[in-house]
Amino acid sequence: MRLLLIEDDETLRESLAGQLVEAGFGVEKAKDGREGLYFAQEYPIDLAIVDLGLPEMPGLDVIRQVRSEGKTYPILILTARDRWQDKVDGLEAGADDYVVKPFHFEEISARVNALLRRSGGWASSVLTAGPVQLDTARQDLKVNDQSIELTSYEYRIIEHLMMRAGEVISKSELTDRLYDQDFERDSNVIEVFIGRLRKKLDPDNTIKPIETLRGRGYRFALERNQAE
Amino acid sequence: MISSLSTRLLVSVGVLLLVFFGVTIVVLEVAFRDAGEQAQQDILDSQIMALLAAAEPDEAGELVMPPDLPEPRYGTPGSGLYAELRDAAKQAVWQSRSAIGMRLPRPAAGEPGEQRLSRLTLEDGTPVMTSTLAVSWEFANGELKPYTFHVTESLDSLNAQIAAYRRQLFGWFSVLALLMLFAISLAMRSVLRPLRQIESEIESIEAGKRQALSDDFPTELKGVARNMNLLIGSERGRAERYRHTLDNLAHSLKTPLAAMQAVLEEKTPEGSQEKLTAQLERMNDIVRYQLRKPAKLIVEGIGLPPVAIRSELQRLADGLSKVYRDKSPEIRISVSDDAEFRGDRGDFMELAGNLLDNACKWCKKEISVEVSSIANDAQRKGIALVVSDDGNGVPAELADQLLERGMRLDESAPGHGIGLAVVREIAASYDGNITVANAELGGARFTATLYTAAN
Repeated sequence: MRLLLIEDDETLRESLAGQLVEAGFGVEKAKDGREGLYFAQEYPIDLAIVDLGLPEMPGLDVIRQVRSEGKTYPILILTARDRWQDKVDGLEAGADDYVVKPFHFEEISARVNALLRRSGGWASSVLTAGPVQLDTARQDLKVNDQSIELTSYEYRIIEHLMMRAGEVISKSELTDRLYDQDFERDSNVIEVFIGRLRKKLDPDNTIKPIETLRGRGYRFALERNQAE
Repeated sequence: MISSLSTRLLVSVGVLLLVFFGVTIVVLEVAFRDAGEQAQQDILDSQIMALLAAAEPDEAGELVMPPDLPEPRYGTPGSGLYAELRDAAKQAVWQSRSAIGMRLPRPAAGEPGEQRLSRLTLEDGTPVMTSTLAVSWEFANGELKPYTFHVTESLDSLNAQIAAYRRQLFGWFSVLALLMLFAISLAMRSVLRPLRQIESEIESIEAGKRQALSDDFPTELKGVARNMNLLIGSERGRAERYRHTLDNLAHSLKTPLAAMQAVLEEKTPEGSQEKLTAQLERMNDIVRYQLRKPAKLIVEGIGLPPVAIRSELQRLADGLSKVYRDKSPEIRISVSDDAEFRGDRGDFMELAGNLLDNACKWCKKEISVEVSSIANDAQRKGIALVVSDDGNGVPAELADQLLERGMRLDESAPGHGIGLAVVREIAASYDGNITVANAELGGARFTATLYTAAN
């Protein structure tokens, strides 16, 4: 998942970007509104985090511009202004949620995950597909109502696959999700994790939740059960 | 645009006078001319009668006029009064001496006994009025012969009189108009004096020589002066309050700063990160609280435009529906038509936003927002904002604590516990309050009351 982070304060930008990368996201960084708008228009992005008080171009204008060009990825506002008037202005400009400065990183990652889940088409924080149920808020996986213990890497992979259930996810995208960008990449590791996940989720090989598409990647193959 | 009030008034009065006097002059002149012409007709009538009386038949069976007539103007050539007697063949049988060498106009005669009046011009262009009387003269032998008497009088003298009359009218009215304009400008001076006084008093307030406007103004300006004083007072109060707020903010930040300094100077750094984090949280709370405090600084009596309650609530509901999309709460808004809030829009948004956000956080699905108009004992008008949800509600013993700053009933829900304290503070600054009860929907029901200007 690629995130765009537009924030003019260098300390905050670098620290937040570092934490996001650690959490398994690819991050594009922009230091002002103009640069941010360029990235937002030209790069393939899954979600943008936009500070409102930006040099060169106000954050609200960046958001309006992005929305007027028909981009639909979620936008999370980062703002020091937490009066309701300001929040409503931001949401009306086209943002989907806001986080008020100062914040804990957990707040940001929770909002980002929720927005990505929604843009993946899941209405609830509990993703259900056949007998598989993933509670993204509690990071808890159940198959046929039986809790399954997962390592944090395994959890990231199954979450990523389920969030975009039905889509083909490439190995390299999954690798991005697992490692910091500069980490040594080894796609065999993904195969190992997928193998382990299959064993844990489907020991009898009856439900076949994860499909392998040779040369293209993996797909979470179970039909979604949407609550609504 | 003319800038000065007195110039504006003088110009408009001047134009009015011009129109009014112009119309008057025309009307008077028409009346004068009518009267003059009527008099002229009467004279011509009596002249005709006199000629008729003077005419005598001669032996030849013709009408003749005596050589000397009582009217001396018939005897002087070019006198302006001319007479003529014509027979059936329209040939002049007699002409007054005054008409010697002139060709008098000959208007058609009517039936015998008919008198006609016509306005004509002589050959030299002089306007005249001619009275014509056709008669059928019965001679002694019983013979009837038709004759026409003509009396023509020049209108020159009448026109000259009218012109003189007009000149007089113009003269008098001009003097009158000038006098009136002068009197009005004198009156203006005294009428406008209080305005000049206000102006100079405001100047001395700006220069810091005065605190407020005096109150010896005429009734019409008393309101202006009073509102001006309220405005000046509220400005001054606002400045003081800002200074006070800044002061408070700076001082309340000093304690956590001191604590952090102490932590950093400790010899044993054990647990110092937690201590620093706790102080940072405290500073954050202080800043947030100060930023969201009520803005109500306007003194009573000066009205603000009413807040568009319905549309602002709708904006909040739309925004929150986005944020709480997973839950997609159903927010029903009902605003009674007479509900009006003339206060700070930001305060209203803050109050409603926090209550709605709170409801979205705790509800299962349904939220109801009702705004109605209320009045308190002091007959002050206000609104009651009631937000109810279908969540788990608030236990009675915790209801009061909930509104205390920093208190959270369920630590797992996001939020900093400042929201409801801000709501309470805003309600209090509008002389209202906030109460919590159990809602019909099953959850909590928050009622905030706000009062604005006196009814």
